[in-house]
Amino acid sequence: MGVEVPKIDFKKIDGSSPGYYAICAIWLIICLIGVYAYIQQWIHGEQLTGLNNQVPWGFGIAAVCYYIGASAGSLIVSALSGLFEKEEFKIFSRSAAFFAAAMIVAAMGAIFTDIGNPENSVNFLIHFNPTSIFSWNAFLYSSYFVVCCVYLLAQFEEKKFLTRCIAVFAVAWAILVHSGTGGIIGFIYSNDFYHSSLTVPLFIISAVASGLGLLIPTYILTFKWTKREYDPDLLWTLTKIMGAMVILLIYCFIVEGFEKGYMPASHEAFLRMITSPETPVVYVYWFGQLGLMFLALAIMLSPFRRKDWAMFTAGILVAIAVFCERYVLIVPGLSYPYEIFPGYEVVKPFHIVPYYPSWTEWAIVLALLAGAYLAYCIGIKIFALLPEKAVKIEEVKEK
Amino acid sequence: MISRRKFLVLVTASAATIATGKALSFGEKRTESELSKYKWAMVIDVDKCTKCVLDIMKKEGIDDIEKVRPPCIKACDLANNVPQSDKYYYSFIRFYMVKETEDAKPLVFPVMCQECEHPACVEVCLTKASYKREDGIIVIDLHRCIGCRYCMIACPYNARRFLWEPPEEHLKVVNPEAPIRKHGVVMKCEFCDWKIDKERSEGKEPKPVCVEVCPHKALVFGNLKDPNSEVSKIIKTSKVLTLRAYLGTNPKVKYKLWGD
Repeated sequence: MGVEVPKIDFKKIDGSSPGYYAICAIWLIICLIGVYAYIQQWIHGEQLTGLNNQVPWGFGIAAVCYYIGASAGSLIVSALSGLFEKEEFKIFSRSAAFFAAAMIVAAMGAIFTDIGNPENSVNFLIHFNPTSIFSWNAFLYSSYFVVCCVYLLAQFEEKKFLTRCIAVFAVAWAILVHSGTGGIIGFIYSNDFYHSSLTVPLFIISAVASGLGLLIPTYILTFKWTKREYDPDLLWTLTKIMGAMVILLIYCFIVEGFEKGYMPASHEAFLRMITSPETPVVYVYWFGQLGLMFLALAIMLSPFRRKDWAMFTAGILVAIAVFCERYVLIVPGLSYPYEIFPGYEVVKPFHIVPYYPSWTEWAIVLALLAGAYLAYCIGIKIFALLPEKAVKIEEVKEK
Repeated sequence: MISRRKFLVLVTASAATIATGKALSFGEKRTESELSKYKWAMVIDVDKCTKCVLDIMKKEGIDDIEKVRPPCIKACDLANNVPQSDKYYYSFIRFYMVKETEDAKPLVFPVMCQECEHPACVEVCLTKASYKREDGIIVIDLHRCIGCRYCMIACPYNARRFLWEPPEEHLKVVNPEAPIRKHGVVMKCEFCDWKIDKERSEGKEPKPVCVEVCPHKALVFGNLKDPNSEVSKIIKTSKVLTLRAYLGTNPKVKYKLWGD
């Protein structure tokens, strides 16, 4: 017989205040703008995007990677209590699992809105190509959503052993799903920028960082606005995990950068992409990806680090920085032309094609994020996802 | 009224059904046919192409190689319903001018789908819309293509084009024999499969449009499985170049660089 663990009271939020409806309305308006943008794209074709035949992937695919990462990261946070027996994190387990399910739906939405022929999208589900990592991912994404739902269901049913078993499975599945997503990019051997065995582990680290980057500010605001008592120490532990992930990410970028810069075939391309203002990538790389990560780290190491605003800001900065990282992963390898004729000094045409996401791409990507947050807002109202008190389990017991 | 618990169970079960349904198409196979007797290939004489393109550039006063439209590109675009857009380059053939050094003699390479033996595009295609026919031609099933463009990312030769705009806006004439596409799908050179299939069934020696119209006979097309075909003989006796051979894709379009 194990030690009796005090039960945490999960309760729905009231959700009847004007503030709650105002937040839902904001998410809904962003979603509707995205729907309008998508209808325009449906009618006029993807000429409304900033993409072209040299850069056929851009903002939309960066968003796919990002949302899947945020989902995997959230699920890992959700499973912390079950996997590592960290009971104090149980308070996050339901809401983080729900957030993970919402994010994977956003990711599938990003794929759906990015494909050129959505009328044929059913083929994505019924035809399977075993040699395509993307095809495997289609199976992994839908099954991952199932895992999220089953995990949530087991938690609702208060089946402790089952929850723990599913938590272990869910984390393994989240890692598999995100490894598969990393493989979509990293296994492309024809592109020197893409081809890297580091991409897969880098995706996992980014996933945890971005998942926490979104969850920490979300929790701070949720607990404050629903007037729930919460322990900043718990959020600080999550912030520390996020900080560790950011340090690991920066380490991976340095290794990857040296590797690309070291190879004579790619060093010119790499240096040009990170130093020349021919495309916006240079700003996204230095300011968006690295700059924001270092700034977030500075906040996490500052004397104010345990303050709510500091954790909130660090979370937001990391969430944006990881999106920039996804963008830098996808776009530069395409903006810089492939070397079809190795050995020849002069090759014409040779265009470094700058890619600027259009308003439709921004609108659709933001609408999917808003959709996930709208689902979260509705979810915490209709399901008992949030703890009555977000404090350590011992404190619950004492009280 | 359905309970929330039942709702969750229902959503989970539906998603599980979809996931399983996908796995059921695992063992899909295409049956062998007459096509397996052929392995179509092309050899391009780079010297002849260079002369042709440089002559046109000189004659028409064009500096930019991308603006040159030799007979092969014109005929290919027309026969294969390729839209003519100012915004996007859709033509299946793209000319590259390369030099060993800045002051060296230029060489002009026409690059189209290389019809690889181990095609990266087929390997990555989500829905098996891109597949290799038994005669080695890589084709795109327009009813299966979802327009995800992963094949374009994987193609080492940048030989695929996505229809960003509704093509009817940029097509003056439509060839009903060739594929008529809608926007949002990927297209590429398929060795004019619609034409060569027809000619083969009529007992003629099949030729893609570009091969037929080339005034310099720079493009040679034929069956690699026939040891007496011209392509087989050239590949056996001449030095030919394969683009990005180190990738192991083993293209069936070869470039003859050193004349006879």
